[in-house]
Amino acid sequence: MASTVVSVNNLTKKFPAPGSGEEFTVLDSISLDVEAGNFASIVGPSGCGKSTLLNIIAGIETHESGSLKVFPKAGTSNSAAHIGYVFQSPRLLNWLTVKDNIQFALEAQNIPRERWHELVTKYLEMVGLGGQERNYPLNLSGGMQQRVAITRALAIEPDVLLMDEPFSHLDEITARKMRLDLMEILQRAKTTILFVTHDLREAVFLSDQIYMMNTKPARIFKRVRIDVPRPRKPEDPRLFDLEKDLVREFFSELEAQGYK
Amino acid sequence: MKIKLLKPGYLPGLLTIVASILLWKGVSLLFLPIFLPGPLVLLDRVIEVYGDPASYIVVWQTLSRIFTGLIISMLIGTAIGLSMGLQRNVEAFLDSWIMVLLTFPAICWAFLSVLWFGLSDIGPVLTIFLIVFPFVAMNVWEGTKAIEKDLINMARVYKAKRYLTLRKVLIPQLMPYLFSSMRIALSLSWKIALVGEAFAVGSGVGQKLIYYFEDTRVDMMLAWGISFMIVMVLIDLFVFRIWERKTFAWRHQLAA
Repeated sequence: MASTVVSVNNLTKKFPAPGSGEEFTVLDSISLDVEAGNFASIVGPSGCGKSTLLNIIAGIETHESGSLKVFPKAGTSNSAAHIGYVFQSPRLLNWLTVKDNIQFALEAQNIPRERWHELVTKYLEMVGLGGQERNYPLNLSGGMQQRVAITRALAIEPDVLLMDEPFSHLDEITARKMRLDLMEILQRAKTTILFVTHDLREAVFLSDQIYMMNTKPARIFKRVRIDVPRPRKPEDPRLFDLEKDLVREFFSELEAQGYK
Repeated sequence: MKIKLLKPGYLPGLLTIVASILLWKGVSLLFLPIFLPGPLVLLDRVIEVYGDPASYIVVWQTLSRIFTGLIISMLIGTAIGLSMGLQRNVEAFLDSWIMVLLTFPAICWAFLSVLWFGLSDIGPVLTIFLIVFPFVAMNVWEGTKAIEKDLINMARVYKAKRYLTLRKVLIPQLMPYLFSSMRIALSLSWKIALVGEAFAVGSGVGQKLIYYFEDTRVDMMLAWGISFMIVMVLIDLFVFRIWERKTFAWRHQLAA
């Protein structure tokens, strides 16, 4: 059966408060699990610490207490898990071609050089950017640049793909198309995703599982399964109903917390 | 071509050049040609310099000193500037040293290298290095402040090794600063090289200058100065500019 890929247990993160020696808690006893092949989302208000949590999972920020594990694929010899990351902005190296941008991640992850060509071609094709290998990022639209960033993350065939509001910088029409395409891509790539957003509609449409997060300090106050079968349509009334319920719950939670 | 030159935009510049050549001619009539040669005499001397095969050996001697000094200054200056920008403690430690070196009178280095190294190639190269590398370090250090932290974090997320990050993430972002320091470094280097050669080394363009100085041949001094200047301008135009354009091609490339 499905095995756990990401397991976070009672994780707490504190930041030093500016101007004083004190610390304030950003993330308070966060626990969550992501199962192999699942799409899990964390939804919370802006600035609640969602990105910090992803950075901790990606290993570029530290935490004070609790445990965190990312399990590499069973049967691979790699001791460390591969983690892909798609940021809010594409964060491409503009001086490198599309192909070299993807190969940067492949080289960084010590993926054997013989496989580069195959991986670059396969995943560029998958995101709909076949033939763009030699182009430079600045020649591409914002949406296409983000597709390159997604390719870079998929090409390392990650154990888990972290996505931090990847469509929030795009116009709504492009974002909508990207969400639909992402669903299709993930069905094919069978990637495990941990997705962060403040957009409940987006989370409901994309996810198998939603963790709802409040703020100051951030705690997970609810975990919801979205059982609407795939492929889903954005205008599916079941998704609308779920979204409405969750929005209502969000507001009552935030109000109870005294959030303004 | 002629029509292009006579466009209104070119006219003021063209007039200025013509006027100054005429003024130069006028003033030169008041002096002996060896103190201030006229434009045509000078042109003749420049042609004389270029016509003599021995000149090319002299120019080559100077160029090799300039580029040795320049390359060493660029490498060490970049390494120091980069480590200052990326590591707080290095910055704190070297910060004031760079300022000291930058403010130390350049001519002192030239004299000191004569005393320390006498008549050898080390003198001018060392003088170039001591004067130029602090400029490079300063410029690169400034450049590190413009490095995008988001891209460094991207590299960290993908677990890029330090060397890979340096090559593909850091250095490309420093390229504009590296090119501007290289330009300044080149123009500084060749002037310093001539001074160094004039003082210490019995060869190169600097030696020609001091030789004609002692002979009071202003015409030949100017001819050598101009001839070498032309070489440096050509190097700037045909090596550095083209290199720069290639490096930044990604900025200008338009969608087909």
